[in-house]
Amino acid sequence: MSTHVTPPQRRKFLFTMLGGIGALIGAASAWPVFRFLAPSDADSGSDQVLVPRGDVVAGKAHFFQYRGKPAVIMQPSPGSFIALSAVCTHLGCVIAWQEQAGEFLCPCHGGRFSADGQVLGGPPPKPLESLVVQIDGDQLKIG
Amino acid sequence: MQPIKIQPIKMLVDFIDLRLGVKDLYTKELNGYLLPKNVNAWYTLGAVLVVLFKLQIITGILLLMFYVPDAEKAFASVQYIVNEVPFGWLFRMLHAIGANVIVIALLLHMLSVLFMGSYKGRREFTWLSGFIIFNLTMGLCLTGYLLPWSQLSFWATTVATDAAGAIPVVGDYLVEFLRGGPTVGNQTLGRFFALHVVGMPLVLLGLIGVHLFCVKRRGISSPPFGPDYSGNEDLPFFEHEKHPGGIPFFPNYFVKDAAVICFFMAFLLAIIFYAPGLFFPESAFQPADPFLTPPHIKPEWYFLWAYQTLKIFPSEIVGLGVQGVFMTFLALLPFIDRGPERRPGKRPLFVTCYVLGILLFVAISVWGHYS
Repeated sequence: MSTHVTPPQRRKFLFTMLGGIGALIGAASAWPVFRFLAPSDADSGSDQVLVPRGDVVAGKAHFFQYRGKPAVIMQPSPGSFIALSAVCTHLGCVIAWQEQAGEFLCPCHGGRFSADGQVLGGPPPKPLESLVVQIDGDQLKIG
Repeated sequence: MQPIKIQPIKMLVDFIDLRLGVKDLYTKELNGYLLPKNVNAWYTLGAVLVVLFKLQIITGILLLMFYVPDAEKAFASVQYIVNEVPFGWLFRMLHAIGANVIVIALLLHMLSVLFMGSYKGRREFTWLSGFIIFNLTMGLCLTGYLLPWSQLSFWATTVATDAAGAIPVVGDYLVEFLRGGPTVGNQTLGRFFALHVVGMPLVLLGLIGVHLFCVKRRGISSPPFGPDYSGNEDLPFFEHEKHPGGIPFFPNYFVKDAAVICFFMAFLLAIIFYAPGLFFPESAFQPADPFLTPPHIKPEWYFLWAYQTLKIFPSEIVGLGVQGVFMTFLALLPFIDRGPERRPGKRPLFVTCYVLGILLFVAISVWGHYS
């Protein structure tokens, strides 16, 4: 069996090796760039947020940040609490509480939600995301 | 019947070639671009610098995503990049230490051009554009130095801008103009930031284009060594310096370029991983305090010669004048040194001044460091 390697074979081998090494270096360089640009876990906030019970007044809405996004908590009746995502399910605008009407209004395209997040009218395709609320003494634990 | 072999890369190249004639460009500019047979590794420093400048642009853009150019937040934003953002420390180090490696490569490039007399043979524009690139890089280093808003940044900038005050009549106004106010502050940070990330890089890119155009248009000079060397003919018309029988730029010289680029990258990474504190004294890790000057504040190593020169002369204006005369002489060297001889062995006066000049630069810098 001949072990002779022809110049085209040698060239092909060298180019394959060079390509492989280049791809490895490229991947090794791209990974830090990707990690640098990727959103940080710390920016998305904690999975659980504490809100002082005294901040949530009956009939009013209290807005806060939950996992990096706006959320809202209400006290529809004394001692019962509802927490919702404040991001409209239509195109992501932040809803506003209409105290007179007792409902949420999305200022972007007029989407309306009830105090418990159900769609009352306008373009939103689904209710507001509901968040779990636990009462812990003077604190409300959300999430 | 033979199966039809599909070669996607060849098809793509043919597709592009039909529209842009890239094969012709390859033949003319890469494979057919011939360099002198005795070309040496010193000629690769231009390519090394192009790669290092590109690295500065990439890492600079990445750092910009988190850096806040505000005196209240700048230091904290840099700390955040280094300590919190994944691989932020790497990009910050590549940018800051890469700037030092660029200065080293620039100095080596200029020293090799001087030693081989490559500025001769009607290459005045090439030298001048390169010399301005060098000075602009110094400006980029100076403006970039302030951005981390550390004690080192703040006081080094205070001292550097204060030097302009020695200029008669307009000195005080010039200092205030440079700082944007009576002292280094938020307004200084704003203008240095704008210059560092937009103004100077744009001018630098243009100048690099001019420099490469000059190199390409005039033709690469032959190294003045060995039997292949032939002196320049003083023709009364423009002629591109060709090297018939020379070596092709691609792949032959490209491989040498790549090897030296790898060497410099390894050098840069070695500093980052094994001596990360080499260019960062303690004051680089303390936030700027305009009411507390740290002891023994020193400029970066490449400004030490200028710093010490100002201290040697009893009057600051004399010190500045000496620096000005030296830099002007260096800028105009191709217009002053008109002799055709390029072989170092045949230029004893030049080589003596060259060696003494390097020794003087090193000695004054070391003196400045320990003074």
